[in-house]
Amino acid sequence: MIRTATTLAAAGLLSVSAIAPSFAQRGSGPSESPPPPTPRLADGTVDLGGDGVWSLPWITDFSKQIVEGAAADGKAPFLPWTKAMHEYNAETHVAYDPEGFCLPPGGPRSFGTPYPAEFLQQKDRIVVIFEGGAHVWREIHMDGREHPSGDALNPTYFGDSIGHWEGDTLVIDTVGFNEKTWLDFGGHMHTDQLHTIERITRPNRNTLHYEATIIDPGAYANPWTVGWDIPWSEGQELAEYICQENNKFLLDLKDDFGNPFFEKTAGAE
Amino acid sequence: MKHQFVAFMASMVAVSVSGPVLAHHSFAAEFDAQSPIELTGTVTKVEWMNPHTYFYIDVEDENGDVESWALEMGSPNGLMRRGWTRNSLQVGNVVSVSGTRAKDGSYKGNVRSVVLASGQRLFAGSSQPDAEDSAN
Repeated sequence: MIRTATTLAAAGLLSVSAIAPSFAQRGSGPSESPPPPTPRLADGTVDLGGDGVWSLPWITDFSKQIVEGAAADGKAPFLPWTKAMHEYNAETHVAYDPEGFCLPPGGPRSFGTPYPAEFLQQKDRIVVIFEGGAHVWREIHMDGREHPSGDALNPTYFGDSIGHWEGDTLVIDTVGFNEKTWLDFGGHMHTDQLHTIERITRPNRNTLHYEATIIDPGAYANPWTVGWDIPWSEGQELAEYICQENNKFLLDLKDDFGNPFFEKTAGAE
Repeated sequence: MKHQFVAFMASMVAVSVSGPVLAHHSFAAEFDAQSPIELTGTVTKVEWMNPHTYFYIDVEDENGDVESWALEMGSPNGLMRRGWTRNSLQVGNVVSVSGTRAKDGSYKGNVRSVVLASGQRLFAGSSQPDAEDSAN
C-alpha cells in the first residue's frame, strides 16, 4: 500500500535561516598533487579558457564574502536605506529578488549565480557567456576605449564594461548599471551610481579567483570588495537554461498584502 | 489524520556533486524548511521544463484517500548533470521523494532527492540553500 509519510525532522537537522547561508568554497583546497600551472596564450597572456567550463558557485550573501571595506560589524558598509531594505528583503524571504523573476543577475552577481560560464577571449574583447542567469553574456571591451558619457551611457542590467590586463590580472571597469538588479540573492541593493571594478586571475589551471569592488555612493558608505574562487570543470560544456519558460514562482507570487504581484503592478485595480 | 507523522532520524549524507543548481527564486518564500516530506506515489504527469522541472504524483493514504502532489526540482540542465534524463520519470512509475513542503500547506513540495522506479536515487537540484547538493 502506498502511504504518505510527512516526516518531522529531528531538531536542528534542517535548521535554515530565512536568508540563505553562504557556502564554504570548494575547488580551491589542498589537493594531493599541485594543480597544473596557469595556461597561457601564444603571446603569454593568461588563457581564461580551455576544454571545460568554470563552475560558478552560488554566492548567496555578499556580506559573507567581503575581503576589504566591511563595516565594523563585518557586514557591507550600508547606508541607512540599503540597511533597511536588506532587512526588509530578509523579512520577506527575498521573494522579490529580480533574478527570481528570471531577470539577469547584473554585475558581480553574474559570477555568483549557479550554472557554469565560459570566456571567449579575443584581443579586442572578452565575452563571458553564462549558462545561468539565464543564458546571458557580458562583453568586455579590451580595445582601449573609454566608457560612453552623458546620455550615450544607457543604464542596462550589465552596464558598460571596459577591461585591460595588469600583469596576469584581468581588470574590468563597469558603469552604466540600471537599478533593476540586486547585488546578491540576499538582497544587497544598489543605485545607478554603481561602479564595479572586477579583478580576475587564474592562479593555476583549475582555479579562477574573482574579486569585485563595489563603489556606489548612493548605497554604501565606502567601497567594499567581495571575492571568491571559481573551480574549473575539465571537459564539461555549457548547456541550455531558459529561465523564462515556465516560472510558476513568478505566476504565484503575492505581494506583502496577499495580492498577485504582477497583476497589481500591471495596473489592475 | 491524513498524514502519518514519523520521527525522522536519518542523517543526510553529504555528497559532492559536480555542477551547480538552480537558485533562481527564493526558497524560503515558498517552502517551509521545517516541514520535510517523505512521499511515495505514482507519477501522473511530468513537466521537464525551465526554470524548474515539475512532476506530479498521486499518494494514497492509509484510508485510501488520494492526494495529488506537485513536486518541484531543478531545471533540465542541472538535472542532467546529476544523471537525470527526460525519461527518468515516466507516468505510472512508483517513486519515493524526499523534500520540503510548501508554506501554504498545499500538496506542493520542493524535492531534494528521488528514488526512481529502478531503485536508483538521484538528487533533484533543490533550490533550498543548504540542500546537500545545492552548492557546487
